[in-house]
Amino acid sequence: MTRKTLERCAPLALLALALALPLAVQSATYMHILIVLLFYAYLTTSWNLVGGFAGVLPLGHSAFLGIGAYTSTILSLQYGISPWLGMIVGGVLAMIVGVLIGLPTFKMRGAYFALATIAFAEGFRVMVENIDKIGPFALNGPRGLQIPPLGFGLGKMLFADKEPYYYIILVMLVVVLMLTAFISRSKLGYYLNAGGEEPEAAMALGINVARAKLIAMAMSSFLTALAGTFYAQLNLYIHPKSVISLDLSFEIAFIALIGGRGSIAGPVLGAMLLRPVSDFSRIYFGDTLPGLHLIIFGVILILVMTFQPRGLQEPLTRLYHWVIDRLSSDRRTA
Amino acid sequence: MILKIEGMTMEFGGLRAIDNLSMEIAPGEIMGLIGPNGAGKSTAFNCIAGVYTPTSGRIFFQGENINGKKPWDLCKKGLGRTFQIVKPFASKTVLYNVTVGSFATCKRRSEAEDKALKVLKFLNLDDKKDLLAGNLTIADRKRLEVARALATEPQLLLLDEVMAGLRPSEVDEVVEMIRKIRESGVTILLIEHIMRAIMALSDRVVVIQFGKKIAEGTPDQVANDPNVIKAYLGDDYVVS
Repeated sequence: MTRKTLERCAPLALLALALALPLAVQSATYMHILIVLLFYAYLTTSWNLVGGFAGVLPLGHSAFLGIGAYTSTILSLQYGISPWLGMIVGGVLAMIVGVLIGLPTFKMRGAYFALATIAFAEGFRVMVENIDKIGPFALNGPRGLQIPPLGFGLGKMLFADKEPYYYIILVMLVVVLMLTAFISRSKLGYYLNAGGEEPEAAMALGINVARAKLIAMAMSSFLTALAGTFYAQLNLYIHPKSVISLDLSFEIAFIALIGGRGSIAGPVLGAMLLRPVSDFSRIYFGDTLPGLHLIIFGVILILVMTFQPRGLQEPLTRLYHWVIDRLSSDRRTA
Repeated sequence: MILKIEGMTMEFGGLRAIDNLSMEIAPGEIMGLIGPNGAGKSTAFNCIAGVYTPTSGRIFFQGENINGKKPWDLCKKGLGRTFQIVKPFASKTVLYNVTVGSFATCKRRSEAEDKALKVLKFLNLDDKKDLLAGNLTIADRKRLEVARALATEPQLLLLDEVMAGLRPSEVDEVVEMIRKIRESGVTILLIEHIMRAIMALSDRVVVIQFGKKIAEGTPDQVANDPNVIKAYLGDDYVVS
């Protein structure tokens, strides 16, 4: 095979593998671990649109996840609206909030932006924890919302088995990856990269940096909120500490930093490395050393930042190209 | 007149960096802007390019008042600039850097890349298109800075010390490059400390000191102006 066809086929082969995986995995626990892995890969890829390409470090994305989870759950519990529709409503709401946060904060640099987004997400969580009702919408404060497992089916996004959830999040991930790949090659991608790296030079080259970042933020918050609905439908129970927690925002950033910010494969690679660490340390040390996974994250982050500051995607991409090179018939002569 | 500045003043707090500066540039001209360190040359550039809004005075670009317009709007109107301290997108390739510039007038990537390649070829930088901008030598970085600005298709190009730090042979190359750019129909306003280059290139020169214009004319006139000699060398050197 030529190099080109191989490069085209490799992602398709991976996708086929991902599609076939549930056939091999029988245990519901492992299935759940895989679903959560894809869920985090999706979240981080969405985050990457702002946190990677636009070169800022938002640490409050759980707020958007919360907006998505609460919106669709309230709509389906109180009004019987399908979560699929609620998902879109939540996404639009999160997008509006994302733009409203971005307007004042994108003028800040570095740590100040990160701190502002943390402050917003925490403020939002405390608010939700202390509000029982907004008008007709019951939030139930710290008790959260429960989705009764009644009436399974695609329309209600509610399933007795794990497989449908797996395929839903897999499709979501593939779509957002394709979107990311498309954007990184488009004018917007160039503008985000340029504005993130050297804002003054970017402005002189005709780029309205703040506007490009706002567009990225709008997309990112919309996509993050969709995952919120998925989370609610998967776990059937949401409360402020689960969907709007800082831990979640930080974990997204961890995954991105370790996998490689601003690359397409980085978030997926990061999730593939870190999620198993997190899950298995919880399974084996959950009762004796809870929270151990965060320490392991920290150690991995230090190691990666020291030896591969641009994330694991860099050496792995090189390896990938090397393998493709070996396999292809029209090898480049070294 | 492609650029007309009327009584421009720029104050930072109590400091008056530009004091009632007026000047005009005709289309197709190369205008030199010189002055001792701290005279306000770069501040004047930043006012014209929209980074600062002048405290008072007016700036006209192709007859339109551009006071308070943002840098990205001015770029789209045909005003390009380079930075004295080069600002490449260091983690990207040379081609990527220039393509960012050509997106100012193109929508599609293939179109933008084609144009970027043309600009790179025009500036003899096409053999380095796949290098990371951060790995270039200072001479090539300065050249890249010009290439990016050119890719936005400017009518007026502001060049801020593109020859500083270069070897004499490299300076000669850049002088040739600037001539070539002018021949392609771009008007140029040039800040430079290397007098040899300024004298060789400029049709007219404006000299500023402490933010005020102290002389204007052809390179020869300016070089022999007692005020200019005083500004650069001090009172003792004026031959009276």
